[in-house]
Amino acid sequence: MFARPLAALAAMVALAAVSVSPARAQSAPAPTPIALGTAIPMADARLKNVDGKEMSIASAKGKQGTLVIFTCNACPWAKKWETRAAKIGNDAIKRGIGVVAINSNDPQRNKEDGYDVMQARAKKLGMKFAYAMDRTSDVARAFGASRTPEVFLFDASGALVYHGAIDDNADDAAKVTKPYLEDAITAVATGKSVATAQTKALGCSIKFRAKA
Amino acid sequence: MSIFRQCTLLILASLLPLTLFAGCSGEPRRADAPARAVPSPAPVDTASITFTVVDGPALVAAVHAGGAKVTLVNVWASWCQPCREEFPDLVRLDRELADQGFRVIFVSADFADDLPNAKSYLAEQGVGGPAYLKTGDDMQFIDTLDPSWSGALPGSFLYDGAGRRVRSWEGKASYDSLRARVLPVLASGN
Repeated sequence: MFARPLAALAAMVALAAVSVSPARAQSAPAPTPIALGTAIPMADARLKNVDGKEMSIASAKGKQGTLVIFTCNACPWAKKWETRAAKIGNDAIKRGIGVVAINSNDPQRNKEDGYDVMQARAKKLGMKFAYAMDRTSDVARAFGASRTPEVFLFDASGALVYHGAIDDNADDAAKVTKPYLEDAITAVATGKSVATAQTKALGCSIKFRAKA
Repeated sequence: MSIFRQCTLLILASLLPLTLFAGCSGEPRRADAPARAVPSPAPVDTASITFTVVDGPALVAAVHAGGAKVTLVNVWASWCQPCREEFPDLVRLDRELADQGFRVIFVSADFADDLPNAKSYLAEQGVGGPAYLKTGDDMQFIDTLDPSWSGALPGSFLYDGAGRRVRSWEGKASYDSLRARVLPVLASGN
């Protein structure tokens, strides 16, 4: 099984260390995002919108598709992208795509991620779509979302057709060369296939609430 | 009873702390030695810290060129809470295992307007060596380090002496967990 006893020992020590380490829970596997083609997870889960009302992703669905943006108030990446995200979301609604931004972060970790700050942020940005709190972080878990911002775009049939970043330059909107999300929205709104369906960008880890 | 079997029984029967395994190989194995008490690093002068700007390929080249037996690349940002929670343990491990050929490369993902904060934090933590700053396309950077990385911070990538990535993870890890991941790679002798 092992070529060398020393290698075997090293492997076993590693296994033993993982088994006994009290820190293992801190290093849980990274979430696995839902695959392309997947239907909207937990579409009927109750979320608290910044207007004070309960809503769900299902209630925000559009005829042409649905855009779900996992974001927050505190993350510098989310802040860098928030003006663009608000504009893209507002424009998407005009094109028949329902939009909901979701904050799954535990505000106990950072007060800036609290509900009142969400309300202020939505007002400041002129968001014409829901910005809702995922009070258990379970919606983010169901999507396999891991960072903010992270977007999921579903087509008219409810199948995931784009997952990933808003564009290729968080720091400077003027230097964006690949407007991934806008391109995907255009494709969905016009009934075409999305050319670049999966992208990635650096982002803040979602601060999940402890599982009940 | 062979040395290997003695060790196996020890592990399976008792799961005693790692420090007990140090003598099982019958030969000096410094990588399995208990954690040494090393003094906390003294803060360094912020002005002495300069960033080397790297994209993904340049970072991997730096790992190869570093000559360390084991290199841990840690992508962090000054504003990132879990990064800051983990950072002191990475610095501690770097100091404890430096004479065994272990090296940590810190790569900041801070934006330009946050660089003063990043420098201050490095100085406060006593990290005076080469500091790196991520640049370029995020997708290329992420996929160069590990295509399975989501891009969430912190991200850590462990390379052996041949420059091969042997393990990676995202999210913070504790000192004990970090040590348990690094020691077997150091012990493998690649």
